[in-house]
Amino acid sequence: MSRSSFLKPDTVALHAGYVPESDHGSRAVPIYQTTSYVFESVSEGSSLFNVEQGGHIYSRITNPTVAVLEQRIAALEGGSGSICTASGMSALFTVFITLCSAGDHIVSATQIYGSTATLLKHTIKRLGIECSFVPVNDKEALRNAIQPNTKMVFCESIGNPGLEISDIPAISAIAHEAGVPVVVDATFATPCLCRPIDHGADIVVHSVTKWMGGHGVAIGGVVVDGGRFDWEKSGRFPELTEPYAPFHGIRFWEEFGPSALAMKMRAESMRDVGAAMSPHNAFLILQGIETLSLRMKQHVANAKALLEWLQQQDAVTWTNYPDMESNSSHALAATLFPDGAGSMLCFGVVGGRSGGAAFIDSLELASNLANVGDARTLVLHPASTTHSRLTGDDMKAAGISADMIRVSVGIEDIADIKSDFARGFKAAQRVAGAA
Amino acid sequence: MYIEVRGKKTYAATGGKDFDSSLPTVMFVHGSGLDHRSWALQTRWFAYNGYSVLAPDLPGHSLSEGDALESIEDMGAWLAEFLRAASVDKVHAVGHSQGFLDVLELANQAPELLKSITGIGTAGAIPVNPALIEAAKNSAGAAAEMLLLWGFGPDAQFGISAVPGMQPIAIGREIMARNPLHADLVACAAYANGSAVAKTIKVPAQLILARKDRLTPVKAGMAFAEELGASVTVIERYGHMLPIEAPRQTLQKLRELIGALESSH
Repeated sequence: MSRSSFLKPDTVALHAGYVPESDHGSRAVPIYQTTSYVFESVSEGSSLFNVEQGGHIYSRITNPTVAVLEQRIAALEGGSGSICTASGMSALFTVFITLCSAGDHIVSATQIYGSTATLLKHTIKRLGIECSFVPVNDKEALRNAIQPNTKMVFCESIGNPGLEISDIPAISAIAHEAGVPVVVDATFATPCLCRPIDHGADIVVHSVTKWMGGHGVAIGGVVVDGGRFDWEKSGRFPELTEPYAPFHGIRFWEEFGPSALAMKMRAESMRDVGAAMSPHNAFLILQGIETLSLRMKQHVANAKALLEWLQQQDAVTWTNYPDMESNSSHALAATLFPDGAGSMLCFGVVGGRSGGAAFIDSLELASNLANVGDARTLVLHPASTTHSRLTGDDMKAAGISADMIRVSVGIEDIADIKSDFARGFKAAQRVAGAA
Repeated sequence: MYIEVRGKKTYAATGGKDFDSSLPTVMFVHGSGLDHRSWALQTRWFAYNGYSVLAPDLPGHSLSEGDALESIEDMGAWLAEFLRAASVDKVHAVGHSQGFLDVLELANQAPELLKSITGIGTAGAIPVNPALIEAAKNSAGAAAEMLLLWGFGPDAQFGISAVPGMQPIAIGREIMARNPLHADLVACAAYANGSAVAKTIKVPAQLILARKDRLTPVKAGMAFAEELGASVTVIERYGHMLPIEAPRQTLQKLRELIGALESSH
């Protein structure tokens, strides 16, 4: 049960947001592959545009297939509503642009995805929005970084690629004390393993391209409005509490209360930025979500088994997994992720950068690519790919080393994954030996 | 807009347009633990189609100051004071659940303020399970959960929403958990004037009931409609939270009655 549904999560994943439609009784969610929707009359069209009633106007703003996905994810996360977007990055941009204007400020954890760091550090800076970075879970640094113009604290529930666990309850307590909402990118965990809203977060973002979709066939993102943040009491968000001129002076907080943020994102960002998810992608991601909890159990089981095996390999110089007993985040991981802290793990191989390259190039089962969360095992060398735009210092701060191999552990038979990696280790050892 | 009633700042939604007391006015009264947002998909239509709208938050609820009122009788009296403070001569009064009991008491105490009454998901009395009242005493959040589980019909329980992307159960939980649900439920349970008041009502009345209502079953609503001489509509598939679950059908019935009365004037 989440705050949005009395059904159990596995049932929500299969049913929320859709009951068989009346015309044809389609059991599966239909794909409404349409740009627009016929108004019954001029008066009905007018009332839809004026939010006098709910309904669909144009698929950039809403689409019935996408709405099922939105309602399903909101129910899984325990939010008051959600907005699906074209990608995880557009979901983040939607949050930033909805809550921040020129002159505003964000506090972000340092240990985040490279493209998100670039967005915060460079792109939104051009719009006059500044970002301060603090080490995740450094409470004093966080407290000191919050300014009168700070509009959010941002972190990832499990950092990419360093796998740091964010202490969401502690971060939320500090942010809320200052009247600032907490935004958590929970992509690496999915709601099967951790629901940030239950731990105090206010807004949850996912790249649904990853585990939620799970099959590596569709790009998408989502923003979930937790519905609990009091935008009026905070006093920092005239965007939500004062009249909004483009919409007859509507005050989102007064009008919609717990869904004020979701409604504002819909009315403004989807209209103006237009980063809409396609109905076909929503359908594909819905297929993935139906089996999410089954896949996550296998992902986690394989990740733990692979970790244990990696720790016994001579070619492995170090390993990292969030709830590894030797990891400082072990206790926190056990609290926030009782069913396992995801299926990402990192390790170093002998031979440094060239050893890592030899390892990856010799794999036959695992794929070397810039994605995670596929049902198949994926590997990557972050220092030369996803985080290559960062400076050496920034890379170090983000917890990345030159020999790091990032693994998104798939749901294949674990014996086959080990066999493939054993082949890679022989290649790395040959490189290390030659050196 | 905010107006002062009994010395307290009181919020009333006006449907997105400035309130104009010279227009025919429709007043919407929310149910236990809820607020003006129950009516989001009815108020805007009326406000943008020739009416003025008032959807107050009762004292102590959401955006209104003050302590919760302790009886339905006092809520009826408060509604009369609220309308006078807003300089309204007469309204079409619409109440959801407990809100309709408030409207009945308004009709009892200040019949001159009414043009018509509409009850939605309601009856002439709303008995409340003592276990629910006890739960609300200890935790509005826990009681809200019980009410939302019983209150929303099957589609809403499957996460269906009239507003794309939203989850009404979570929205309801947030609103109810912060409001004086216990006081509302106690007042509801104690109210026993419905049948007596029904005999005195002279203005047109209608009830809009929900086939899957588990809090105020259709049978109770139908029986009260007979006492009241009210027209009845039963909306299939939906539960007690009709204004939120079936906003379009609810609005349609309101438009029909209120529209017909206004055009006959």
